[in-house]
Amino acid sequence: MKYLNRFLSVPTSDPDEARRGRLLNILVLSNIGGALAGLLLIFIDSIWGLQFNDPETRVLLVGALVASLGLLGIYRMNRRASTRLAALLYLLFLTILFIFTDNPEELSNGRSLFIFVLPITISSLILLPQASFLFATLSGGIVAWLATSIGQPVNVFAIIGFFMLALVSWLSASSLESALKDLRVINADLDVVVTQRTDALAESLNRERIEAGRNQAILNSIVDGVIVFDTKWNATLANPAIRGMLELPLEMIVNKNFRNLIEHPKLSDHSRKLLLAMIEHDTQPFNFRIEWGEKTLSVSAAQVYDLRKEGNVNIGTVTVFRDFTHEAEVERLKSTFVAIVSHELRTPLNAVLGYAEMFREAVYGPMNDKQVNMADRIIKNTGRLLELINDLLDQAQMESGKLTINLSPVKPSELLETVHGLMDKTASDKSLKLNSEIDENLPEILIGDGERLQQVLVNLVSNAIKYTANGEVSIRMFRSDYAKWGIEVSDTGRGIPHAEIPHIFETFRQVEGAATRTKGGFGLGLAIVKQLVNLMNGDIQVTSKLEKGTTFTIILPLVIP
Amino acid sequence: MSQIALIIEDDEDLANIFAEALRGVGFEVEHATDGKAAQEKIRNEVTPYLVLLDMHLPHISGAELLDEMKADERFAGTTIIITTADARMGETYGDKADFVLIKPISFVQLRDLTARLKPNP
Repeated sequence: MKYLNRFLSVPTSDPDEARRGRLLNILVLSNIGGALAGLLLIFIDSIWGLQFNDPETRVLLVGALVASLGLLGIYRMNRRASTRLAALLYLLFLTILFIFTDNPEELSNGRSLFIFVLPITISSLILLPQASFLFATLSGGIVAWLATSIGQPVNVFAIIGFFMLALVSWLSASSLESALKDLRVINADLDVVVTQRTDALAESLNRERIEAGRNQAILNSIVDGVIVFDTKWNATLANPAIRGMLELPLEMIVNKNFRNLIEHPKLSDHSRKLLLAMIEHDTQPFNFRIEWGEKTLSVSAAQVYDLRKEGNVNIGTVTVFRDFTHEAEVERLKSTFVAIVSHELRTPLNAVLGYAEMFREAVYGPMNDKQVNMADRIIKNTGRLLELINDLLDQAQMESGKLTINLSPVKPSELLETVHGLMDKTASDKSLKLNSEIDENLPEILIGDGERLQQVLVNLVSNAIKYTANGEVSIRMFRSDYAKWGIEVSDTGRGIPHAEIPHIFETFRQVEGAATRTKGGFGLGLAIVKQLVNLMNGDIQVTSKLEKGTTFTIILPLVIP
Repeated sequence: MSQIALIIEDDEDLANIFAEALRGVGFEVEHATDGKAAQEKIRNEVTPYLVLLDMHLPHISGAELLDEMKADERFAGTTIIITTADARMGETYGDKADFVLIKPISFVQLRDLTARLKPNP
């Protein structure tokens, strides 16, 4: 079929011309075939009957030969030059050939009249739709001429029939052409759409490939282990770092449910519980540590939301694993070190304190006033050293993340009473008034860490007393809005210089000035206060006016049991 | 009733101060400077009325001694006071002892506390 198509096709870009050319080629080639077959038959018949001298046979032979050659010429013209010209020549050839197919009587008014129908109908298809009228005219003319030449009346009905036929073939050919044209337009539109779609798809695929490649490159270059989970905790993505961290092949991580990993024997029981809690209550951001074999890994998990979708649809979780083994070891050493140091410091301090007390209590005989006073000073300074050691221990624990907040129901009024009771004597020793006030809007019981709150307040109040020469120190508890409550500690002391305010919560810093130094202290207290308040998800602010006083305000989230 | 107070404390100065406080209220003081010596004393020699027990001790830990005393009927009437610099120790073993004192321990405090605990003669 492909081979046949090569003979039938016409080299042109115009689809109409290609269609006509192809049709013409089919007709011409079948005619050539017919002529050659006829030639062969005549030839065989001539040999058999030795009738080469018969003039009729000779005419037939020559006619068939000429027809074949002419048709070949038309075929070549169709393929090489113009289809329309070839078609016109072919139709004319056909029409003229028909004149010789029968005697004039039959042709003009008999059995062969119908033969002229062929060029009329074919012309519409292979030349032009309206060419049928040309051939109707031509055929009509030939029929009239033949009739006249033999002296017979012209068959007017036949000629009218030719025109009717021409009209029909014109209409059908032109409607066929316009249908084909419409189809081509639709096809062309479709082509454009398909091309556009294909381009867009290719571009988006390309973009996605680049993006995925970039994401993978970023993931691969991260030293932390990363696993991305879908909403059902199936791992969809993991980076090479996690493989080294867990010492597992990626196939055991990716496309597996997280529960498989949680079941792994390398994971400690406690860590297993933590991870199970994470996947079962997946509503909050997490950060905790797990034990994997000999390793300590810190785990941070963050939910991923698709912001394009309405209502921020959760599409999974990204978990980052960091090898914390070294840090955990350092922390453990540090914690041990702090425990040892604090023990080693407290023991001699205890001896100093004990001996001084023995002096004061006159265990070994009576003491004069000056000696008792000196013993008092030793006891007082020992107390300060002890406070510092406790602060240092707290600080060290806080830095290693060991200081925790224990939430339980707290009565603000009780807390205020305790702090007042603890600090009242210190204040009255300096002839300062200690006020405490509680806002009646504050709930009677709220959730907090009573012990830490007391630590914070004692620290702030003792600071206030320390830096206030005369006047008063006030503690006020209040409700700041529906979701927050606050504690305010204010004094009428000498205040903090403006430039120092941003630094007062820093570790190991105290307000500049000779007068301050004589008061002693390392300023560690405020750093711990701030860190404790932050641990409680609160905030601490300070306002101060020189020689007028200072106010510390703590704002804490209000949780009612 | 025994008037013996056993001080188990590896720091000589603290042992001196504690001893002075206890003697001051009328106890007869025995002293062990390490875990092993303390174990020998509680196994063979004395059934004290009161024990001051340091938790950080050489050889045998305070926790071990505490368990041993708690398991021994002889010590049923003995008041055990843990003395430690480590508040966490106090939290861990506090339930087994009668009192926990966190170092530094005030001479006056110890004297007042033990004066209250002392049996009436």
